[in-house]
Amino acid sequence: MQKNKLLLLVASLLTLGFLVVAAAQENVFREWRQIQRGLRSADGPLDVRLRQIVVPQLRVADRCVSCHVGMAPGETGLTGGKMAAAHPKVGHEPADFGCIVCHGGQGRATDKADAHGDVHFWPEPMVPRRYADAGCGSCHTHLAVPSLAALRGGRAAFERLDCLACHKLEGRGGTLRPAGGGMEGPDLSRAGLSGFAADWYAKHLTKDGAVWKQSFGAIPAADLAALDVLLRSRVGAPGLVEGKALFHSLGCRGCHKVAGVGGDDGPDLTREGAKDPGRIDFTHVPGRKDLAGWLGEHFRSPAAIVPGSAMPMLGLSEEEIGHLVRYMLSLRHSPFPEAYWPKDRIRAERFGEREFATDGATLYGSFCSACHGAEGQGMRYPGLPAFPAIANRDFLELAPDALILETVRKGRSGRRMPAWGLKDGGLRPAEVLAVAAYVRTLGGNVAQAPDPKPARWAQGNAATGTRLYAAYCASCHGPNGEGKEGTALANPVLLENATDTYLFETIRRGRRGTTMEGFGLPSTVRPSLSDQEIEDLVTFLRKGKGGA
Amino acid sequence: MSPGLSVFLENLRAAPRRAYEATFRSGPPTSDRTRSTFVFGNVFLHLHPVRTHRWSLRWSTTMGLGIITFAAFLITLVTGVLLMFYYKPYPDVAYDSIKDIHFVVPTGRFMRNIHRWAANVMVIAVLLHMARAFYTAAYRKPREFNWLIGMALLVVTLGLSFTGYLLPWDQLAYWAITIGANIAQSPREVTDALQITDRFDPGGLQKLLLLGSDQVGEEALIRFFLLHVMVLPLALVLLAAVHFWRIRKDGGLVRPANADERLGPAPLETYPVFTEAPHKTYQLAAIVKGKTAAVGRGPEGTVPSMPHLFYAEAGVAMLTVLVCLGLALFLDAPLKELANPGVPENPAKAPWYFLGLQELVAFSAFMGGIGIPGIVLLGLGLIPFLDREEAGTGEWFGGPGGLPLVLRSIVVGLGSAVLVDGIAIRYGWLREWFPKIPQLVVTLVNPGTVLTFIYAAYSIYLVKKYGSTRAGALGLFTCFLCGFALLTLVGSYFRGPNWSFYWSPADWPVH
Repeated sequence: MQKNKLLLLVASLLTLGFLVVAAAQENVFREWRQIQRGLRSADGPLDVRLRQIVVPQLRVADRCVSCHVGMAPGETGLTGGKMAAAHPKVGHEPADFGCIVCHGGQGRATDKADAHGDVHFWPEPMVPRRYADAGCGSCHTHLAVPSLAALRGGRAAFERLDCLACHKLEGRGGTLRPAGGGMEGPDLSRAGLSGFAADWYAKHLTKDGAVWKQSFGAIPAADLAALDVLLRSRVGAPGLVEGKALFHSLGCRGCHKVAGVGGDDGPDLTREGAKDPGRIDFTHVPGRKDLAGWLGEHFRSPAAIVPGSAMPMLGLSEEEIGHLVRYMLSLRHSPFPEAYWPKDRIRAERFGEREFATDGATLYGSFCSACHGAEGQGMRYPGLPAFPAIANRDFLELAPDALILETVRKGRSGRRMPAWGLKDGGLRPAEVLAVAAYVRTLGGNVAQAPDPKPARWAQGNAATGTRLYAAYCASCHGPNGEGKEGTALANPVLLENATDTYLFETIRRGRRGTTMEGFGLPSTVRPSLSDQEIEDLVTFLRKGKGGA
Repeated sequence: MSPGLSVFLENLRAAPRRAYEATFRSGPPTSDRTRSTFVFGNVFLHLHPVRTHRWSLRWSTTMGLGIITFAAFLITLVTGVLLMFYYKPYPDVAYDSIKDIHFVVPTGRFMRNIHRWAANVMVIAVLLHMARAFYTAAYRKPREFNWLIGMALLVVTLGLSFTGYLLPWDQLAYWAITIGANIAQSPREVTDALQITDRFDPGGLQKLLLLGSDQVGEEALIRFFLLHVMVLPLALVLLAAVHFWRIRKDGGLVRPANADERLGPAPLETYPVFTEAPHKTYQLAAIVKGKTAAVGRGPEGTVPSMPHLFYAEAGVAMLTVLVCLGLALFLDAPLKELANPGVPENPAKAPWYFLGLQELVAFSAFMGGIGIPGIVLLGLGLIPFLDREEAGTGEWFGGPGGLPLVLRSIVVGLGSAVLVDGIAIRYGWLREWFPKIPQLVVTLVNPGTVLTFIYAAYSIYLVKKYGSTRAGALGLFTCFLCGFALLTLVGSYFRGPNWSFYWSPADWPVH
């Protein structure tokens, strides 16, 4: 019995000890308690209690403010350390939305690592501070974002025209005259949110019917348009808009879908910023093993991070990578109830408004430039046939408008070119027109050269054409015209819309700057083809291999 | 002062004393007699005998495993009730409520951890308790029925643990229960092979009964919650009450026939044996068939349960509390991401005590999920009726062969399990060797059935060699225990994504 009594005594005493430790852990050593004990409010020591922001509709119960006490609703004038700091002024009242809606992390948690989401098994860690405005993407979808060039044009005009003399924009500019006198113009950092009168410039010149700011000369219409583009995109998140504009200049949507719009060759990016770091392979990522680190390294060298990735190296600067990472992190698209959706998201998802500007330049930048090059110069990526240089003068002079338009619309089946006008997530008819028109401006507004001949005139000998094709063309265009390094010539979209002149002249003169040489031109390495032989070839192309 | 008033005041003064007397009717347990009435006058204590044999109190007799199991159950009961105040049994909300329990409910994290650890302690202790009962041949007459009750308690314990697994509604829970439900559906393997699933689908029915739906969802959660907090605990309490009561009715814990001689005279400081003549006779004894457990035996080896037995029980129970608290203080109960039916865990693993089965399920769902567990349960239930011997009762590893036989059986059990599972891991199984083989052949011949066959053959060999059923049972039970341990180990630590074999989780490919 003595043994059992001793066992009971020792076990009970140790249990008591454990309970004391647990009680101390619970009531004394919790981090947030220690923080709150160190803070003081205006009326003396802060009372130590769990603080939280609860928004049931958003499933938010954010205890972040138990440590970040200065940001708790109703707490003002705290002192005693950096946790006393209030939330910087933002468009939204944190008490209405909570913290994690924008910042990510685990709002229910009360320990630092858990709350910031730096733990296993929490799929949504905090958005890194330097990318904080990516949090806007939880709810917002910025609409009609222009291409980077348009955005930079606007900013250049803004600076050149000296708008900063009176107006503040993203923390720069504006006049401060403490002694009064003069007048400061409104801060334009959120002009795109608040909206502005379409005729602002006219109003700007006159005030109360009288001429007002005469010292500013007339602004050219092009500059005015550029300023409008800039102002419309000022929504209080300049870095994010910059990143999105960059995304829409690198042709990313040619392969990637975002919110249902884009190509299908790469992964859908709609919720890229909400990716669970627990499911990312960080094997090849040096540096920080978080989503931002992964994205940055991936933009630097895609195939080094994802073995076998077909994504090309983009050759971006560090600043551009930062912008792109920020935009990727903003692709959060949180599933909040629609009652909480901002107008822009409703307009994008319910009314189908575009996130990108729909002028030809922006569309080309969004959908085409990754493959055809920012200037239409064509691209060559390892392992893939070269992408055509569509701004090539020789091409534009010969190509009928219908060929360009229908190629954009119907694509080239069997090749990489998607049918942008027909596919899911493709372009709308007006957008196809805009892109097709823009292709001509890329080459310096080259119009099709006048062609007196009918669309179909070649009447050569198809049998000779067959022989010539096998001898001269098949090595690049494929034995059956299915295309290899060269264009797929047996493609119905090409054959329907190309004129005989287009085919004839392209074979005869070649396309300068590409591997397509002029077979009618004299050459030291092979006999040049006569016009009759070229006509035979065109006839063969029309009739021989599925020609129209 | 009127007489009525003085009586009233007198009663008022005496009320505390009378309340005490009403509660402890036999007075303080200072004499043998009051100690006895203390026990049988109390509805809970009277499940115990009033006197306990000194053999039962030796630590080596039971190692306190039964008490550890029950203490762990009481701990889960108390912490479980506390958790229920905050837990909300509805998908997604459930996860949030667990997070709230973890982060803001005062001592919520501690309570949940204790609950979790006590549940694991209970599963381990109930298995060891069964092994103890087997190795001391405690299942023999007259304790056959209690052995069966014990098996039912084992099943209920596993059921309690399994139903509790789903409640946090995280990825771990969701996919473990999905695996568990698929194991329940495993008879389909046979009905599919016979092409009668359209007409006769016991597997699908089992899964439907378990989940209330095709997949784990809100129906399953409510169902598991109800089973976990009400049905199974009630069943367990009832069965446990019978289990304890039967111990008394069957003459206390099992002990060797010569226990008294081996113990020798009681030490001097022990409360002595009967000192007073019995004050009561049991008239009912006239109509009870057979002899009671005490007839023909002197009371010499026994000591009063109060306080000897109760100190022992309280000591072990406190030790269990201590272990659970200690684990809970330093190791958090797991909680992964919110359950997401669209993103399967890879590997998705059942709770650890089913990982041995999952290892077998990987080869044949039916045999791993239903066939072999069924055979094991049937075998366990038959043991007391096949082994009618008396040699070795109450002795550790008692019976022909004894400890050396058990040690040899460990070698055979572990060796053949390593061999069979090793072959299957290294070289594949019939499906890999003969891709066109009918499923029924694989169902009949797979690592699980081969292992069962080896164990059975070995056991029959032992029965012949020793001329004793007990020897065969010792071998078979040991082999199955070893097989269970090894397969559980492999399933827990050496299986990675797609249930492939890895020496270490560090070698797992990243998804």
